[in-house]
Amino acid sequence: MEVSMDVFFFSMMNVTVFGYVSLFLSNIIGTSARHYIFLGVLLWEIIRVAQYSMSVGALWNIWSRNLSNMFITPLSIFEYLFTHMLSGAVKAFVVFAGVSFIASVVFDFHIVTLLGWTNLVVFFLNLLIFAWTTGIAILGLIFRFGNRIQAFAWALVALFQPLTATLFPVSVLPPTLQRFTFLFPPTYVFEAARAALSDSSVNWNVTLVAFSLNLFYFFLALWFFAAMYRISRTNGQFARNEG
Amino acid sequence: MSTVLEVKNLLKNFGSFRAVDGISFSVPKGKVVGLLGPNGAGKTTTIHMLLGITTHSGGTIQCFGKPFPKEREHILGRINFASAFNHLQGRISVWENLLVFAGLYGVDKPRKKIMELADIFEFRPLLKERFWNLSAGEKTRVILAKALLNDPELILMDEPTASLDPDIADKTLSLIERLRVQKKMSILFTSHRMDEVTRICDSVIFLDHGKIVAEDTPLGLTKRITTATLSLTFDGKKASVDEFLTARDLSFSFSGPSIVRITAEEHRIPELIFSISKTGVWITDMDIKKPTLEDVFLQIARSGNPSLSPEPSQRARN
Repeated sequence: MEVSMDVFFFSMMNVTVFGYVSLFLSNIIGTSARHYIFLGVLLWEIIRVAQYSMSVGALWNIWSRNLSNMFITPLSIFEYLFTHMLSGAVKAFVVFAGVSFIASVVFDFHIVTLLGWTNLVVFFLNLLIFAWTTGIAILGLIFRFGNRIQAFAWALVALFQPLTATLFPVSVLPPTLQRFTFLFPPTYVFEAARAALSDSSVNWNVTLVAFSLNLFYFFLALWFFAAMYRISRTNGQFARNEG
Repeated sequence: MSTVLEVKNLLKNFGSFRAVDGISFSVPKGKVVGLLGPNGAGKTTTIHMLLGITTHSGGTIQCFGKPFPKEREHILGRINFASAFNHLQGRISVWENLLVFAGLYGVDKPRKKIMELADIFEFRPLLKERFWNLSAGEKTRVILAKALLNDPELILMDEPTASLDPDIADKTLSLIERLRVQKKMSILFTSHRMDEVTRICDSVIFLDHGKIVAEDTPLGLTKRITTATLSLTFDGKKASVDEFLTARDLSFSFSGPSIVRITAEEHRIPELIFSISKTGVWITDMDIKKPTLEDVFLQIARSGNPSLSPEPSQRARN
């Protein structure tokens, strides 16, 4: 029930609210502003849902006092991570398909037509990898510090919404911040997505940069997670996570 | 007799605090070894190290002759763990939980195995229930079933009967006893209930401040306390009894005018009863309280009595 509310219901409501907001804005400042915002909202759900699924999935193990039971089986830590990543990917796909359908039927916003299939697949994969990366890093923090920092599981990712220029072009940010935003792969995706609204051909250069950055952060997150897991087992926090 | 678990000089430091201080012990095949000690003695930390969820700072762990955690996956596939403090995933059903763990352990014919265990632990009607809806006793039975899914050769049990009422605890112990005989399992068992330990353990290791302070059979440990308490109800002059016991330099106390409690060497008790009856008082009732494992536990917890340290000859026998 909780997961359905947080993942599916929240996404549906988010899209519905922003659907009407963007309709309202299109009457005042034009269609492109409407598209920018709505596109950002839809694509952001991929990051939010996949990351939330990973982090909260592990928290459910802690809340149920079941975490150590998982780790006293022959299951390896990377198999555990992979399972959460897979679960996150499936949920993100289902939610993204659902919200895209609502956007199409209720708000006449046809994301496939606007971006094209290839762009959509490339954007989805890049955003998914970034979601996995943040999910893995947060999972490491949860293993290391326990449920004291459980709010990170659903709140920390929001930090990236302004930093990756999800709902507006990077150009509206202050110059210093603009340089900073390009450290994050989703910035390239959102910029490319906005550009694809007027020209739906795939910008492979931008895709490659986003993918390379994603790979770098993904392996950095794996290293960070492994370090947090090791420290947690050394200082006894891992066993104490269940209270 | 082969050994399934061999621990040598196991150490655990949490910063400057030494939680486990170079302990060595083994668990022979088919035997139940009790790991006892007051809170903070290092029992749970030891178990966590044996399971790999806490890393050890020194020493070696060998399970089935293989080093742990180097051979982690092979070893964890042959052991299991049950604790009153670890539960299963609350928001999914008992059946789903057991199916997940059967998958993780690579159990052959998992559905058949789960039904078998549900029958043994009498929870077949609960299979569709969500785990968090179960009572404490029902949860314990499901957790024990989880611990048997992979037909483990060694089970680590951390206070499996904590929070259970005496009836359910007794049934749980009977099940453990039965399974141990049927499946020839080795068990490392921790509990604060000394009667349980006396009942099911073949040998007992007492930990205190991270060190082994005693190691013997439950009977052997209780034999190390040589005194017993004799409680006599008598009909006659209290002064005569007082005078007699004082003359013999015995430790005693009166509870009321006609009941006396005497602490004496166990072997002197028959002679004591006979002698008191010669002083002109009529003994109407008597009760002898022999030392129990609980007394051993209390002595260690309160004083860390060195007289309970393992004797060289007994260590050799073990």
